[in-house]
Amino acid sequence: MTDIRIRKGHNIKISGAPKPEIITGERPAKVALVPVEFRYVKPKLLVKEGDVVQLGAPLFFDKRNPQVRWASPGGGTVSKIQFGPRRVIEKVVVALDREEETFTVPVYDQDSLSSLDRGRIIETLLKASLWPLIRQRPFNKIANPDDKPKAIFVSGLNTAPLTVDLDLALEGQERSFQAGLTVLNQLTDGAVHLTIPSKSRQPALTGAENVVLHRISGPHPAGNVGIQIHHIDPINPGDVVWTVTAQQVVILGKLFLTGRFDPTIIVSVGGPSVKNPIHVRTRMGVALETLLSDQLKEGDHRILSGDVLTGRKAGIDGYLGFYDTTVSAIPVNKQRPFLGWLRLGSKKTIYTLTRAYAAFGHERFDFTTKKNGSARALVPINAWEEVLPMDILPNPLYRSILARDVEEMEKLGILECDEEDFALCTFACPSKINLGRAIRQGLDLMEKEI
Amino acid sequence: MDRIRPAFESGGKLKRWHPIFEMIDTFLFNTDEETIEGPHIRDSIDLKRVMIIVVVALIPALVFGVINVGYQEALAKGITRDWTSNLAAGLGSFIPIVLVSYLTGGFWEVLFSVVRRRDVDEGFLVTGLLIPLIMPPTVPLWQVAVATTFGVVIGKMIFGGTGMNIFNPALTARAFIFFAYPQSISGDQVWVNGPDGFSGATALSVPAGEISKNAVELLSRVQQFDYSWTNMFIGWIPGSIGETSKLMILIGAALLIFTKIGSWRIMVSGVIGLFVTALTTNFLAPYSTNTMLTLPPQYHLVMGGFLFGIVFMATDPVSAAFTNRGRWIYGFLIGFLTVIIRAINPAYPEGAMLAILLMNAFSPLIDYFVVQGNIKKRLARYAQ
Repeated sequence: MTDIRIRKGHNIKISGAPKPEIITGERPAKVALVPVEFRYVKPKLLVKEGDVVQLGAPLFFDKRNPQVRWASPGGGTVSKIQFGPRRVIEKVVVALDREEETFTVPVYDQDSLSSLDRGRIIETLLKASLWPLIRQRPFNKIANPDDKPKAIFVSGLNTAPLTVDLDLALEGQERSFQAGLTVLNQLTDGAVHLTIPSKSRQPALTGAENVVLHRISGPHPAGNVGIQIHHIDPINPGDVVWTVTAQQVVILGKLFLTGRFDPTIIVSVGGPSVKNPIHVRTRMGVALETLLSDQLKEGDHRILSGDVLTGRKAGIDGYLGFYDTTVSAIPVNKQRPFLGWLRLGSKKTIYTLTRAYAAFGHERFDFTTKKNGSARALVPINAWEEVLPMDILPNPLYRSILARDVEEMEKLGILECDEEDFALCTFACPSKINLGRAIRQGLDLMEKEI
Repeated sequence: MDRIRPAFESGGKLKRWHPIFEMIDTFLFNTDEETIEGPHIRDSIDLKRVMIIVVVALIPALVFGVINVGYQEALAKGITRDWTSNLAAGLGSFIPIVLVSYLTGGFWEVLFSVVRRRDVDEGFLVTGLLIPLIMPPTVPLWQVAVATTFGVVIGKMIFGGTGMNIFNPALTARAFIFFAYPQSISGDQVWVNGPDGFSGATALSVPAGEISKNAVELLSRVQQFDYSWTNMFIGWIPGSIGETSKLMILIGAALLIFTKIGSWRIMVSGVIGLFVTALTTNFLAPYSTNTMLTLPPQYHLVMGGFLFGIVFMATDPVSAAFTNRGRWIYGFLIGFLTVIIRAINPAYPEGAMLAILLMNAFSPLIDYFVVQGNIKKRLARYAQ
């Protein structure tokens, strides 16, 4: 076991942190997949409105790689397929039946998993339409089943604001979690790296086998798998590394142990707009209405699937994203304080003297969707570097992306980067430059070239 | 403001003047712009606040400097008076300079913004205050106006405005006066509001040009001013308005470092560079007749504009190096060059300004090497 201490970064002091307690949410009437959230994928439907589907039956596949299909997170009737501009498939909604039928695959017992053949595992995952649970770096996209990854990374801690406490969420899941890890270990010739919080008391994490354990401490983004890869086994050109989220390792494990897709996950519901922030036991693709009924305070809110840094605007009528385990709600505030720039800081208006991460004490603040400033030319006061725990020079990298200089980007290490790891840079930027989006644009350019 | 807004939006009659509207509007009220995608929340730091923090950090040096201007005037005239009348007298010469600086600079900022159809940016908040602080109180106002114009237009605007400039605009303005009107600001004569023909030597020019003497001893022999170390540290000496009190500058530096607006790396490495170089020259002094070489580092630190320069000028994030490793090198070389220029070139006893401008020009090169180093490190990893 190795210890990794991340020094740079910042834990945003936002109010509405979910209580360390899990309640069982009510059963949703609808679940959905949101195909637009998968990057570099061309979804093609396998169902039409009115079709009856089983839990785990494929809803659509990727035209670029037809063996990759997406399993329905519920059994029932396809009630709505929503298209966006240019016939982009935005949502595939399934209205749940009272008794759900489940698609099944062969069952394995725990002991045979460690000798399972790689080909069989991939075949099972593809057949169960659950291959998209495995993503790859670089590009943070769905893995290609034909690749051989040099390592597989599972992050056992969330550090992003208001996210699920995995020590809590994995409680009682030791067996499935271990089964999932064992299966993953068969998929690579390298190691499965599991990172755990340095103070973890969760036996599912501390007692995990067939993995290389790393204890990680430090502020966000220490829990981001991209940062962990950078510190443990960085990506070189030509390398492919796979990643799976901890809760989806449990789903993988259950698939092999029971032959069924169990979409149950623990979701954190939090943010300044939430009355009772808490962890909820619910399922993938759940309608956010189900989680947020009676939970929102008065006023206008922005509802996000995902955390406040990287989440997707979903709205109250939206659905939980495929990889998301966090629902955040933040107030929309239209007030414009008079001569606000004169105020160096007060409890009410400003989060700190100048910036939230120099905050004294432990108060938490009601962040809103305000940008708190206008876009300006880049003035490099080191705000990005302070919150980026990577040996990457963000400033030259940003310039190379603006210049669309693919060669320079690669030299500066863009393949090790992902949007989510740079979200804090955007948060802290005084010129209000969205560095994460720039990184994504750079990656898009690279992806096209390859 | 919201009532008259439509006239300035696209299609409105006054569209051309939108930058001015935006400036006044966001000056009066915080912007209501919202995030459109992740990250959905943003820190409350913005460029306005960055600039305001720097202005606040300048205030101790400013207040002290203004009082000192009055005090030096009284000293020169041989009268004594209390600090309030010193302040009043100081303000009498300071306020016109500030007004001229802000008005001319502001005029060019707004003109360029309107022509370019861009928002007016906040950089001039700081530049407009820095320029008066590095001027002698006796400077003619028309020279301030010309220098400010030069600093803003040539130093900044022709490169594209705040964020694009190669040189620090305030220092560019000072360098302009320095070379164009040397009688106002040459650096070897002091400037005090006093009787006609009043003159004296600045602390730095005392040892400069002398042969084979001890610099500290020479300083202690000056009758006209108190050039002891403590007094130069506190700042009751003649000089440019804002730069005399090293104590007040250090208070400003503390604020800049605490708020992470100013780069502590540049400040620390600058002082290290100054000390290392000065100690080296001290060591070499016996082999030379140059008296400047005997000046100990702690004297270099409190004399002239070095400290003001390294705290407020060299840390200008745009014209400095923008990588952290680059900042160490950049700061160190400023300290190094300051001493070298002071010691080797008696024509320019004040080396800090030239050292910073020179390093401004070289900072992209420093960054280039730092970036190449980072790339090489990664390539070495790939090769394994």
